[in-house]
Amino acid sequence: MSSKTLSGFIMIAFAALTAGCGQPAATPSPQATIPASVTGTANADLLLHEQPADAKPVAEVLKSVKDGVAVTILGRIGGARNPWVDGRAAFTIVDPKLDPCGADEGCPTPWDYCCSTDQLPDNRAMIKFVDAAGDTLEQDARQLLGVKELQTVVVKGKAKRDETGNLTVLASAVFVMPDTK
Amino acid sequence: MILSFLCRGIHFVWSLTMLMFRPLPWDYGVRNLLRRPGRSALTMLGLGTVVFLVFLVVAFVRGLEISLAVSGDPLVVLVHSLGAGENIENSTIPGQGAGVLSASLRRVETRYRQKYVSPELYLGSEVTTESVKEPAMGIVRGVTLTAPLVRSQFQLVEGVWPAAGEAIVGRLTAAKLGCDPAELVIGRTLRIEGRNWKISGRFAAAGAAFESEIWCQVDDLQQATKRQDLSLVAVAVSEPKGLADVSEFCKERVDLEWEATPELSYYASLQTHYGPVRRVAWLIVLLVSGAGAFAGLNTMYGAVVGRVRELAMLQTLGFSRRAIALSIVQEGVLLAATGSLLAAAVALPLLSGLAVRFTMGAFTLRLDSVSLIYGFSMGLAIGVLGSLPPAWRALRMPVVDGLKAI
Repeated sequence: MSSKTLSGFIMIAFAALTAGCGQPAATPSPQATIPASVTGTANADLLLHEQPADAKPVAEVLKSVKDGVAVTILGRIGGARNPWVDGRAAFTIVDPKLDPCGADEGCPTPWDYCCSTDQLPDNRAMIKFVDAAGDTLEQDARQLLGVKELQTVVVKGKAKRDETGNLTVLASAVFVMPDTK
Repeated sequence: MILSFLCRGIHFVWSLTMLMFRPLPWDYGVRNLLRRPGRSALTMLGLGTVVFLVFLVVAFVRGLEISLAVSGDPLVVLVHSLGAGENIENSTIPGQGAGVLSASLRRVETRYRQKYVSPELYLGSEVTTESVKEPAMGIVRGVTLTAPLVRSQFQLVEGVWPAAGEAIVGRLTAAKLGCDPAELVIGRTLRIEGRNWKISGRFAAAGAAFESEIWCQVDDLQQATKRQDLSLVAVAVSEPKGLADVSEFCKERVDLEWEATPELSYYASLQTHYGPVRRVAWLIVLLVSGAGAFAGLNTMYGAVVGRVRELAMLQTLGFSRRAIALSIVQEGVLLAATGSLLAAAVALPLLSGLAVRFTMGAFTLRLDSVSLIYGFSMGLAIGVLGSLPPAWRALRMPVVDGLKAI
């Protein structure tokens, strides 16, 4: 075998192996995407410009309110590592009397209230913005309302209680308190 | 087409080189390699070993990544107890969880009124085979007939669905248990949670993580473990909006203390969890390649030192120093390419499909096109980098000194 044939054979085999072997690997993205048109905007119809005067904290509302009654509830966004329903205008809030984990404790997600989980059931409520048909709005609350974890909000809406005592507020408007930091 | 494109590319580069200076004939470098067959063969073997090790590590990383990537279904969501998202075997939800979810959720995939909701008890447990009395840690999943509906990759490749007291084993279960596959043929018995389980079938799952598990009936496993709860409920939804339905339901039913994690997110978090392992693997690739580059460097230095007079003579004949350096690099690249091909020829039958055990189960090494490209690129890089310093030395030596050298 001449040296030219030998080197040609090496190159062809090398190129064929590089180009022809293996299976395509699908690596689907695990994240849902949010339309760019919605990002960074807040829906003016849902946002209140003044804080409602009759707001009650979550724990008080949980104790007293009945199903179908109009409520104005005050709370801080949190109560789970991910308090949001991704892609929907829904989130959980916690009574402001509960303190989130301190920064000195090194908790990366202080809004999950991991230092006071035993108190969460009596101090947590679900907020969701619904359309006329009662379906939750298909826009992520963070984009729709411009809110983030641990932000204090006052929500106006109608209480929905189930037989086990869970409270969901079918919200019509929200007042977002400005960050104090 | 790729081959044709490659040949044209090489021809173009060679023509361009010819315009800049007159290179040594291509055959010259090849003949030089054949003039010293022993040294060339040893260098090639050394480089081949390095590339083989690169193939091994890259195939490991690719196998792990692909195993986790194919395990998640974009329309399946796992419902587990709050905070157990990263450690699902510690999750516990009530036995009636599947019923609650079936009754409460819209957009659940349904066929012939059968909802795709799979209650599962998932645990790591000691498994003893008939011949090997030393137990090994295995992953056991108690399921119902809805599990194959939700896990669309599932294929029963041999035997029958397990009845009471029976279990089916995955294609990679033997690798996970570290036992002979003959121990897991149909009809053999396993001892799990103090009970004997007869193997009734074998299943495959397109390389998904649960291919290394043992599946049995969920109520059977509950009895064996004296538990009444489940670890998770896997729900297949009919459209992407259904994923948010499940998450919203879990957040609304605060009393249940459930959490919904899309299966893709769950396996993506495992990818993150195994990030350090992947980084160490890439570090090994770098170290092994560095060692290979030094081996190549040493050999090519030897080749240059032994041919000082020859190289000086080539300069007196009119070949430029760049042409001689290019010829030396050509020799190094040819050796590395041949070594890489040999490594691939050995690695493809030896490594591809080899099962490897890890904490979550087992996976197979993947020597796919990506792994081959990594290995070959590394081989060629070693060839070029290992030849450059000797080529530089050849460029710097004065012609007169070279001709006088002994």
